[in-house]
Amino acid sequence: MGGPTWVTAVNLVIWTGIFLYLLRLERRVNDLERER
Amino acid sequence: MKRPLLWLLWGWMATVIVAAFHWAPLAEGFLGQSSRILFFHVPMAWVSFVAFMVAGVRSLAYLAGRRTERRDQAAAAAIEIGLLFALLATVTGAIWARIMWNSWWNWDPRQASIVVALLFYAAYLALRAAVADREARGRLCAAYATLGLVVAPFFYFVLPRLGFTLHPEAVINAQGKVEVEPRMLVVLLASSAGFTALFFWMHQLRTRLALREARLLEGSD
Repeated sequence: MGGPTWVTAVNLVIWTGIFLYLLRLERRVNDLERER
Repeated sequence: MKRPLLWLLWGWMATVIVAAFHWAPLAEGFLGQSSRILFFHVPMAWVSFVAFMVAGVRSLAYLAGRRTERRDQAAAAAIEIGLLFALLATVTGAIWARIMWNSWWNWDPRQASIVVALLFYAAYLALRAAVADREARGRLCAAYATLGLVVAPFFYFVLPRLGFTLHPEAVINAQGKVEVEPRMLVVLLASSAGFTALFFWMHQLRTRLALREARLLEGSD
């Protein structure tokens, strides 16, 4: 696996990580707002 | 935002990534695979501009209308995220410059103008941190960010065109024509749309968090 395929895989992993982090943050903010 | 919409965004951006590296052709006149950075560099610069405009509009609403905490925090959140994207656009631009010009930094008009824009908005954060009184801070910061409605378009669209630049011509050239290979244009527009949606999601989250933080601080006073 070389060149563009490798870079694509790395980009997909980074994007998925950011996405899951934001999704978790969204859930936590929702919980905080519900507690209020 | 609704959960299915968020997963749609994930799929959209994943498709953009695959298309950027495997479907879009390489641009003529660029070394190796370097033109692929365009699909991320341009949308990041675009989103930073959108963010600064959102901050300006929210600040103007704060000054002209009801001075709510939400408007103040929304402007600050937009500038924080705008700075992040402007920084990413600068870094991806420097990586591209290293490949094409064999130098990370050349003080090209476009590079200089983004640095000045970064400094202008970093000063907003400094101003925000320097004023303790909530109302005075809101008023001063809103006036500063409203000024950005004029300053940001100047740094993004006017200043880079005033002198000679090595930077590739913008997607829409001086004659107002789009001169980009159709598949490249599709990926570029899809990427820009995805990054813009991502910005609005991040912005909404950051604003809600900042409001929560402000309420907690009020409670502890």
